[in-house]
This record gives sequence, C-alpha cells and structure tokens, in this order.
Amino acid sequence: MSKAQLLTRKWIGYIVLILMLLIIIAPFYWMVITSLKSNNEISAIPPSMFPIHPTFSQYTQTFGQFGFGIYFRNSLIVSIISTIVVVILASLASYAIARLPIRGKTFIMVTLLVISTFPQVSVISPLFVIMEHLGWLNSYQALIIPYVAFNLPFAIWIMRTYFAGIPRELDEAARVDGAGVLTTVFRIILPLSTPGLFTGAIFTFVACWTEFFFALVFNTDNSFRTIPVGIALFGGQFTIPYGTIFAASTVAVLPIVILVLIFQKWVVAGLTSGAVKG
Amino acid sequence: MKKSLLVSMSVLSASAMTMTIMTGSAFASAKHSSAVTTIDWAASPISNVGIRKALIQLFEKTHPNIHVRLTSQPTNTDTNRASLATEISGGSATPDVFMGDVVWPGQFASAGLALPLNHYFPKSYFNSFAPGLVQGATYKGKVYGAPFFMDAGFLYYRKDLLAKAHLPVPKTWEQLANDSKVLLKKHLVRYGFVWEGASYEGLTCNWMEYLTDAGGQVFNAAGKPVMNSPAAVKALTFMRSLIASGVSPKSVTTFQEPQAMNVFNAGDAAFLRNWDYAWSNSQTKGTSVVGKVGVVPMPTFAGKKGPGYGNIGGWNLYINPHSKNIQADVTFIKWMTSVQAQTVLASKYSEIPTNNQVQHDPKIKKLNPVLAIVGSEHLVPRPAQSPNYPKVSSAIYQNVNAALSGQVSVQTALNNANSQLASASSSSSL
Amino acid sequence: MVSPALLFVALVTLFPIGYSIWMSLNHIQSSTNGFQFSFAGLSNYKIVFNSPLFHQALIFTIVYAVVTVLVELVLGLLVALAINQPIKGRGFAIAIMLIPWTLITVISAQMWGYIYNGVYGVLDYLMQSLHLINSPIVWLGTPNLATISIMIADVWKTTPFVTMILLAGLQLIPSDLYEAAKIDGAGAFRSFFSVTLPLLRPSLALAALFRILQAFGLFDLPFVLTGGGPGTSTMSIAMLAYKAIFNDFEYGPGTAVAVITVLIILIMSLISIKAFRAQVGEVEE
Repeated sequence: MSKAQLLTRKWIGYIVLILMLLIIIAPFYWMVITSLKSNNEISAIPPSMFPIHPTFSQYTQTFGQFGFGIYFRNSLIVSIISTIVVVILASLASYAIARLPIRGKTFIMVTLLVISTFPQVSVISPLFVIMEHLGWLNSYQALIIPYVAFNLPFAIWIMRTYFAGIPRELDEAARVDGAGVLTTVFRIILPLSTPGLFTGAIFTFVACWTEFFFALVFNTDNSFRTIPVGIALFGGQFTIPYGTIFAASTVAVLPIVILVLIFQKWVVAGLTSGAVKG
Repeated sequence: MKKSLLVSMSVLSASAMTMTIMTGSAFASAKHSSAVTTIDWAASPISNVGIRKALIQLFEKTHPNIHVRLTSQPTNTDTNRASLATEISGGSATPDVFMGDVVWPGQFASAGLALPLNHYFPKSYFNSFAPGLVQGATYKGKVYGAPFFMDAGFLYYRKDLLAKAHLPVPKTWEQLANDSKVLLKKHLVRYGFVWEGASYEGLTCNWMEYLTDAGGQVFNAAGKPVMNSPAAVKALTFMRSLIASGVSPKSVTTFQEPQAMNVFNAGDAAFLRNWDYAWSNSQTKGTSVVGKVGVVPMPTFAGKKGPGYGNIGGWNLYINPHSKNIQADVTFIKWMTSVQAQTVLASKYSEIPTNNQVQHDPKIKKLNPVLAIVGSEHLVPRPAQSPNYPKVSSAIYQNVNAALSGQVSVQTALNNANSQLASASSSSSL
Repeated sequence: MVSPALLFVALVTLFPIGYSIWMSLNHIQSSTNGFQFSFAGLSNYKIVFNSPLFHQALIFTIVYAVVTVLVELVLGLLVALAINQPIKGRGFAIAIMLIPWTLITVISAQMWGYIYNGVYGVLDYLMQSLHLINSPIVWLGTPNLATISIMIADVWKTTPFVTMILLAGLQLIPSDLYEAAKIDGAGAFRSFFSVTLPLLRPSLALAALFRILQAFGLFDLPFVLTGGGPGTSTMSIAMLAYKAIFNDFEYGPGTAVAVITVLIILIMSLISIKAFRAQVGEVEE
C-alpha cells in the first residue's frame, strides 16, 4: 500500500476506534459516576450528569458493611486457577485436534459444542448431588472443577481455529530440526498463537468471573462466595442499591483491565510480526 | 512416532489436574466440632440489613447451647427459591431453617421441601399468631411455616399536597383518581399515583387488591377459575384507565417496588401503593418527602364498604425435612416468633409482627403509622393454596400486564388468564 | 494430548447431562426422598411443543439471535479491521473495549434498567434535553421497544468479544498476501473481499458460533429488565426453562425445553459453520 493509503487507513482506524470507545464508555461512565453519588442523588429527577457531591461512601459501604473483600479474593482464586488449567489443557487438546491424525475429530468437536451449550439450569441439580457426595460444597474446587469442564470445550474451539491457521510448514521445519511434539508446541506454536491463547484465556476468565448460579448453590458459606453472588446479597427485597452494586462492579472490572494491559502485547503479537517468513 | 510421549504427557497433565484438585481441597472449610449445636439459617436480607444478625445475637444470648450460622440468600425471591429448592431436593441437611415467602407453603409442601410443623409444636403455639396467618401457611391440614413477619399493601399519600389543594384523603379508587387529576391540573406534582405494574409477582399482589375490592375472585369456592367475571373486568378497566388518563405514568407497567418508591421519594408522585417498608424508606434522611407522608388502608371502589383490601405478604420460617437438628430448629423458630423477638422486630426495625399480642400492643402501635393501622385494614391473600401457585400467579400477572401495556384488550386478557389458570392447576404444563 | 481435556470434561459433565436428558423423559415428582421418576416417553416434549408460550419464546429467541449475531459480526469486524494496524494506544483501547464484556450480566442489566428507566432514566433525560422527544419514552413498555432495548444492551456487551475473536483471526493473515494482491492491482475493497474475508472464514464461523451459543442462553437481560414482559413478549427459551424448573418445579417439561434448546443450537451452529465453509475438525487442506 502507498504511504497515503496507509495513512488514510490509519485515520479511519482512529475514527472507528474513538467512536466505538465513546459508545462503550458512555454507559460505563454512567455506572461509575453513579457509584460516586449519594443515594438521594442517584434517584434525583432530572439526573445529574456528574456527581454534585462526589462521595466514596458507596465504596466504603461495599467493602465495610458488605465485606466485598472476601468475595473479591475468592473470585480471583477461582478464576485464575480455572483459567490456567483451561489454557493448559485446551492448548494441548486443540493442537492435537488441529494437527495430529486423530479419528473422529468432527464428532469430538460437535460433542464439545453440545456440552458447552447445555443449559446450566438443567445440570445444576445432579451436579449439586455430586458435589455433596464428594463433600466439596463450600470449597474452591466446587467451582473450579465445573468451571474448567464447562469452559474447556469452547476454549478448545477458539484455540483450534487459531492453531489451524498457522502454517503447517512451521511444525515440519521444527520436526526436521529434531524437535518433539511438546517442543514444537511450546517453542514454536504457542509463542506464535498468543492472540488465540489470549482470546481463549480472557473468555474463560470472564466466564468464571461472572458465573452466578453454580457459585450461589455450591458455596453457601460466606467465606467462599464470589463477587456475582456477593452483589446479589446487597440491598433488600424491595430495594436496588444502585450505588453499592455499581461501586462493586466498578471494582470488579479492574482486575480484567489490568490483566489486559499486562498482556496487551499478546493480543496483537503473532504472525504479523514476521516470524513466519523464511 | 512420539506416541509414548503423548501418553506420558496425558498422564502428566492428568496428575497435574489431580494436584490442582488436591490443593483445592486444602482450602475447603474446616468443620469445627464443639458441644453446642450449630444450625444453619438461610434468610435473604430483610429491608434493614442488620436485623438477621441482631436477632441471632439475642437468641444466642438466651440459648448458649445453640449456635446459629446465617446464610445470606439472594434478595431476588425467585433466585432465593431456586437455590433452596436445588439444595433441599438434593438431600442437603443445610440450611436447617429457612426464611421463605408466605406464598410458598403449597408448593414446598407438595414438593417435600418443608417439614410439617404440627408434630413439633403444641396446638396453642399456633394460636399466638394474628388471625389468618397460620391458615395461609397451611396445606392439606398441616402447617408448614411459622409466620415470622407479615406485610401488606398500604396507600401512602402526600399530606402537604392534599392540604394545598384542600382534598380529603381518598377512601375510594375513584376519589384517588380524581384527587390525582386535580393535583396534576394544578401542576402540584408530576404524577398522581405510582404502583407496581411490571410483569412479575408484585403485579399479582396489586391485582388481588383491585379484584377483591370489585367483588371478584381468581378461583370460586369450587376451585374453578373465574377471572373473566364482570368484577374482574371492572378492576382491570379501572387499572388501565389510571394509565390512560395520566394519573399513573405510562412506565408504571415496568415498575417494581424500587422504581415506584424512587418516584415517590423524589417527590414526584402524590400517591403510592407499597408495602410496610415504604414508611421508613420514605422518611430516610435526604428524601424529598420527609415529614410529608401519610399512610392509610387501601381504598375501595365507590359504593363498597371501606376500607379496601390490602394484599398479604411477608415471610415464614420453614424447617428443612433433612435437618439433623430439628429440636434446635424448633427452639429457634419458637424464639423468633416469641413476644421478645417480635417486639424487637417491630420496635427497632418497624416490621409488622406476626405475634398477635405484639401486633395489638398499644405501645407498638404508637411507634409508627403503619403499625397503627395494620389491624384496621382488610386483608386478602393471594390464591397460594396450590402446589402450582407460581403458574397461577404468572397466568395472572402476564395477562394483566399485557392488558395494562395495551397489547390486548381487557376482555381478551382476562379470557386468556382464565384459560391459563385452568391448565395451570393441572400438573405437567408449561 | 486430547485425552486429559476430554477426560476432564467427560468426568464432570457426562453424568449431569445424561441425568437431565433422562429427566426430560420422565414424569418427576419432587418429594422428601428426592425426585420420584416415572417414565413418560416423549410426553414432556409433547407438552413443550404444544405450549403457545414455548412457540412465542422460540420465535423471540430466534429473531433475537439472528439480529444480534448479524449486527455484532458486522460491528465486530469493522472494529477488528480498524485496530488491526499499529495504532498508538491500541493496547489501552482494547482494555477499555473489553470492559462491557467483563461486566457481570445481571449488573449490566441493572445498569441498563437504570438508564432506560421511564421516569429518572438518563436516556430519556438526554433525549428530552436535545429535544429529540417531547415526553419520556417507556423503553421497556412495549414489545418492540423492549426487544430493541434488550438487543442494544446485548450488542454493547458482546461486540467486544466478537472483535477479539476476529482480531485474533486477522493476525493470522500474512501481510505478504496483501502485498501480492496489491501487485495484482487490487484496491482496498478487492483485497478485503479476495484476501481478508476468505481467510477470516474460520474466525467468522467461530464468532458466529459463540454468539449463537450466547444468544440462545439469553437470560439475565430480560430477567432483570422486563421479567419477560410486557406480557410475555420478551420471554426467552432460557427464561422459560428457568421458570419451569425453578419457579414451577416442572422438572420434566423444563429439562425438555433445555434439551430442545441444545438441539436447536446445534442445528444453527452447523448451519453457520457450513455458511462460512469453515472446517469442523478434519485435517485441513
């Protein structure tokens, strides 16, 4: 492309991006500033576009009275462990499915799809009974194990799609050099597929971070409850405490934003860096 | 090929998985053992967050050999029921005692999710409650829940606005509509009357009030659905006219309690239909209506003997049939419904006590205007004496809401409701 | 290499899934001793297929899925293309972009409920201040508006993740292909249709698949925003299954709805895979 063309493309890129960000930020802005308002300002008519008397009371209440810190810690533990397990298992499985001669791949992929789509409402009762018999109610594994199992299938789908797009010549070149399957996966394929890994990981992390129903039913002890359940206990039967739930969700968004910022190189690494050539 | 490597790798990651599981179990909660009996009480937050813990503390002071562990349940009643049903039908021994809605006895009894209490409590115990409450917790001759605190629909109004316009407090629905129109015409307020009109359980509660005022019923004495009666037409036509005439905002068909409450608290409505909590909620420091609010029993239709009907709400205490500590559960429930606990509930947290003696105690009645008028209101329960009450209720609120939002005519909505009510009472339907 | 993953998934999921399929074939009475099963053949399925509520929920869900999937694919592709180039602050932009996706759905539903509120909602307020409307619009008050409002909330939340999938796919397209196309004299549009789109097919299929799964599981947004109303016009099939199982204790018909949902998702997924001619599992090329 000529320089001028590249430049236009870049400008279009900026404009689309800025528009998109504005649309995304607007509702979120509303959530954040609501979390900085007092309860009376929150239900004021007309609404104030920025907090007139900004206050952190919603946040102190969230962490103090509602003990949000415990929920936050539990969510971190459960989501991080689940994500790591999923990424390890899924990257191996999806490499094998994408590359190795295994029979019945279509069957495996479709079965995985069915499993990941099976509505939670109909599997929760039998799962509860299993957890109870194992004595796992009120524990971290009560969540980690189902989260891994129900998120693995789609993570495999994501990563397989990505691995399948990586030129086969790379594997073969590595094999000629005498590398085994594992070395090929860890030295050649994975470093090239960070965008695919990232997508799979962020999918899993968010799914675990936001899961409600398993967490509600399997862990009833307050010391094992996670963020989504914790927030559902705020307020009373007839009140929606917008201030505290928005404060809690604003805090809940932070770890993921931080993770994305840490791993941002991964999102856009991969083949464009020119590693394929040669 | 590297087959052997593949095998060893799968073993490796499998053992890694087991490791994860093992380290996971290290986190599992340690079960502490001691001489005292520990019972688990599952309860959603009551309007004032501190009530549950305060009551537990008082109980443990007088009963040092019973320790009560609170499991906080979700504030959403449906979600609350879903988790309790999954746990108890899965055979779980916890929670031992759970706080459940007054409309649950039929459903929970027939599904084996609640223990019949008659065997564990003396007959005289059930006479300590305000009339009608035990009957509401009874299914096929057995009592399944001990009434813990009750609730009812009330009419809240703005004293200052009525005084400004020299209007009396409405005793009839027609009067309420006219008062609203006068206030709106004088631009004294933005909306006349706000209530709960969204497609959910609360609309069934609102509907029962209008329907009963108009002389109608959901089921007749023989158990046949009769929701397409002329009385029902009158009730629904009136509700629709509230919206059409601008007395109620159009968005009232999307209102649940919080939305209606917020409009009233912001000073934008002259009248509000809401539960007991609305009194203290409206008088919280910082709302626009502190000191300007009055509360009366619900109005009725012109020509009927007032006051009108308020729908019964509130919560019971139930025992999990799989509980291993039934004696302790019974002790706990007895105490929670005792004069001491009920007095605390009423005086400190302005909940309506279920204990008859406390409810009629003049000292309690003086505490706030809602407690003062509870005894004088006519009460109507929802048609909950059926294992299929949730389907009965959704047949009501879905169709009433469809009519209110103008999707179907009053007559069509009521005909639909009636035929759905007929199939709802049979089992196995959607 | 596949086996650890498959074993894990199988161990945890096969029993519950088999159990709930078995439930859908039985008449179930919950009792103090647990569920009492009596085999009922396909009668639960008959109940479901004869239920007008199911028909309505199915139509709503399909319309909802088709519209949101298409909108999100187009929007997601647009944004993915825009940021698939070295732009300053891209990592930061992506982090911001993912915020809606990371919000707990119930909370984002509460947030939209607060925004859409017909009395003190900020949307009506802004539109009135800009003189776009004279009186507040009740966003959740009529079937069409409520459907659109729910769709907007969904597009807002889910497009970022579609973008991520497509962006990962775009990374796989080697830049020399574009250069080759340019040498052949292809303009930006031609090279998009002759290079980008064909090579992006697997990712598009994946994104469509992901969206179909999500759309058929639609629950939290209508559960919080409308409760399925007005009337039953925004009742999704996932809500119907939830209501049947957890509100009405109709375990048989409820699990039947769940099984039917899975079958429909499966069919729609296979169609979308076919449509994008992406390969499911056999060895490529």
